[in-house]
Amino acid sequence: LHGRPGISFEEIARAAYDEGRVRLATELLNYEPRAGKQVPLLLSMKEDNIALDKAIESGDTDLIFHVLHHLHKKLPLASFFRVINTRPVATALVESSALDQDRNLLKDLYYQDDRRLDGSNLLLTEALAQPSLSAAHDKLKLASKYLSDSRDPTAQFQRQALDDATKLLRLQEQFDKDLLGSPGGVTSPGLTRGTSLVGLSTHDTIFHLLRQSHTKRAAKVQSEFKIPDKTFTWLRLRALVSARHWT
Amino acid sequence: MAPIAPFNASEITEKARRDLLRLLEGIRGKKNLVLEKALAGPLNLLVKFSTLQEYGVDKPFFLENDNVDSSQRNIVFLVRGEKSTVISAVADQIKRVRRDSQIEHEFSIFWVPRRTTVSDQILEEAGVLGEASVSEWPLYFVPLADDVMSLELEDAVEDLYLRKDPTPVYLSAKALMLQQQKYGLFPRIIGKGDHGKRLADLLIRMRTEVAAGEAPSNTGPSFLGLTPSSMIDSLIIIDRDVDFPTALLTQLTYEGLIDEVFNISANQTEVDSSIVGAAPQPGQTGSASTSMKRKIVIDQKDELYSTLSDVNFAIVGNMLNKAARRLQSSTERNQLAAKTTSELRDFVAKLPGYQAEQASLKLHTSLAEEIIKFTHSDVFTRSLEVQQNIMSGTDPTTQHETITELINRDVPLSAILRLLCLESTTNAGMRHKDLEAFKRTVIQAYGPQHILTLSSLEKMNLLQPRGGSGLGVTPAAKPGSVTNYTPLRKSLRLWDDEVNEVDPNDISYAFSGYAPLSVRLIQSIIQKQTLANIIKPPSDPRAAAQANPLAQGLRVFDDATKYVRGATFDQRQTGEEKAVKARSMLNGNHNDAMKTIVVFFVGGVTRAEIAALRFIGNKLKEVGGEGRGSRIVICCTNVITGGSLVGSAVEKGRFRA
Repeated sequence: LHGRPGISFEEIARAAYDEGRVRLATELLNYEPRAGKQVPLLLSMKEDNIALDKAIESGDTDLIFHVLHHLHKKLPLASFFRVINTRPVATALVESSALDQDRNLLKDLYYQDDRRLDGSNLLLTEALAQPSLSAAHDKLKLASKYLSDSRDPTAQFQRQALDDATKLLRLQEQFDKDLLGSPGGVTSPGLTRGTSLVGLSTHDTIFHLLRQSHTKRAAKVQSEFKIPDKTFTWLRLRALVSARHWT
Repeated sequence: MAPIAPFNASEITEKARRDLLRLLEGIRGKKNLVLEKALAGPLNLLVKFSTLQEYGVDKPFFLENDNVDSSQRNIVFLVRGEKSTVISAVADQIKRVRRDSQIEHEFSIFWVPRRTTVSDQILEEAGVLGEASVSEWPLYFVPLADDVMSLELEDAVEDLYLRKDPTPVYLSAKALMLQQQKYGLFPRIIGKGDHGKRLADLLIRMRTEVAAGEAPSNTGPSFLGLTPSSMIDSLIIIDRDVDFPTALLTQLTYEGLIDEVFNISANQTEVDSSIVGAAPQPGQTGSASTSMKRKIVIDQKDELYSTLSDVNFAIVGNMLNKAARRLQSSTERNQLAAKTTSELRDFVAKLPGYQAEQASLKLHTSLAEEIIKFTHSDVFTRSLEVQQNIMSGTDPTTQHETITELINRDVPLSAILRLLCLESTTNAGMRHKDLEAFKRTVIQAYGPQHILTLSSLEKMNLLQPRGGSGLGVTPAAKPGSVTNYTPLRKSLRLWDDEVNEVDPNDISYAFSGYAPLSVRLIQSIIQKQTLANIIKPPSDPRAAAQANPLAQGLRVFDDATKYVRGATFDQRQTGEEKAVKARSMLNGNHNDAMKTIVVFFVGGVTRAEIAALRFIGNKLKEVGGEGRGSRIVICCTNVITGGSLVGSAVEKGRFRA
């Protein structure tokens, strides 16, 4: 029969399924070239994995999402993850949609797959979204802890970077408190431009400190983060130039 | 003999326009239009706003602004249906309007390009599916110029390489399929790259699907539609991740630099009015009176611009000068010579043309001046120096000092990332020690949030350690997992020291020395002899062997493609014999001349590459020999610059107090 165009295997398969011959129906469906028709029937026949595979084969992301959505609702989370994690395209789609909608799902997924780097990245993203610093600190701590027992050099590097970020934030907080004066809002004269340092990069922090001629504090940041002398000189040059500009 | 050429820009525009207007007609009375921002540009290219007004559009709103008012009963959403965030935004706004408004509204949604089951699900869960009438606006290709079609998928790079979401590939396949159904199958699909392979597979798959759809019951178009086309020569697909460096380099053509400095989107760019003068010129829509930025339409229809756009920026000054002289002399001499009334009448009739030319000349002179300012900056020259050194094969470690200095001088992050990625992609990764040092410096200089940026770049295979640890490297077998530039530089002659920018003889003019690998690969398919002559050392034995230009495919440069990342494929599509015969009878003896070669870039194309391809296209046209008068049409998922390529990885959040 196959090889002849124009025959709807979907209809034949549906008939077979209605007769209760599931295996035959599945077999027949292999000849149906239109995935759009194949997949819904497979789903209704509860041939979930085959349906997912066929959807992926078709390349139609909408169809893949459709199957994934269906599976997600139907299966317990753990087995849902097991189904998708052998299929990279499916994993990618779940990840990308969960990134916009369902962060917790993503966290579970990374945990189950032991993808520590991704997991810690996710926590870092959340830290960035926190409105208050103390909450951000908590998230950062978690992100760092997530990597703590990994030997992978990339993870170790990342951990170092995260810890540095925490340290930097604490320093910035400290400087803000010292330099912005009392919480009443009365800033000392000459510091009218003294906006908050929190959120700036290490370089920018030094730059601003130098511009406001807090040389000692700047030097402290330098030694704390091991900024090379050359870089520090550049920063000082730029800061001095811009300070002259403004006053 | 002028058959309707396939990939006809005006035809595609016309169809998209008609489709949209028909949909609008279907909704009676006046309506408010809610647009997804990313669609505004393409829409602007297809339909004038005045036309939309004629069809009852009262006010346009951006979906992202979430500010539709209830001034009209009908509210029409025009949005892409592939992204769940966008769909949820639509659902939210419908709910909001329904809650806040006094009158009952009628909602319509036009999904672009298709209605998806996901969209239905989301709307249903929000409980608004029932109240919206849903239709599809099948917009795929948006013609940017006569020979450039783009899907205008802004997120294509992020989707494909960062999120590994194959939607752009699927949409590309759909778009190409529509053209195939009209003009026949691509007789040959050749290409390079994993996503490219996927696209080719999908095209073949969809063909069987269409065939299956033509069941005896539904009498669709006949089988003639699915025989090899007699007007298309081949489809060449290039995946962006085959050749990232080309996109990372600073483009040096005029159009490329406009894109680098001002950003072009959908043939429009915004320039500060202090540069170009605020006076609204005739022929330009919109009456932006006091706005700071002025929108400028950039397209090939402007005669002056079409001569300028693709040349190396170094000679733009000369060309502008020449154009100014010509304009001056033609107006002056005519004025003097115009003695009789008939001569004078002729002159007056030409005046508007001169005025338009003058306006365009003025515009481009100011643009060029601004770009010169940019290219003369110290930072620009330093980073160009690094780029050129890396591309010509200097040991990249010698460049590290310059890069560090640039970081210390607080150059914009994207410029730095472009340089770092360039080094990594051309050298199959960076030395572990160097990479870590640079990562640390970037984080210290630009903020800890860029830990995420760096890890995204790693995922995109743009920035990775040499040898590749388990992370981020394609699990494919060793050959073809990365593009190796060292052997390619020689075998495809990617670097050209004696580049001639004034009167270019090779595509390397577009980057002042570097010939884009992507275009070289295309050349190795359609312009083998020229290429063989350019690559002198190995050409002698080969040039004779490949005297037959019909030897298509990548056979000749097989050894070259071995060093290029991703799958290589070459498929022929044949139809049923009877139908083939029928078609060839219908069309007479067309043989090989005047065919269209379609070049498709998955994941974006840069304007400099377009320029280089046009250069090849012109060569094909002029010589009767190799090109047989073929025409090249460039299709792509979107137009990119290095900035936007890297930009999709950059994390925008930062810590707040």
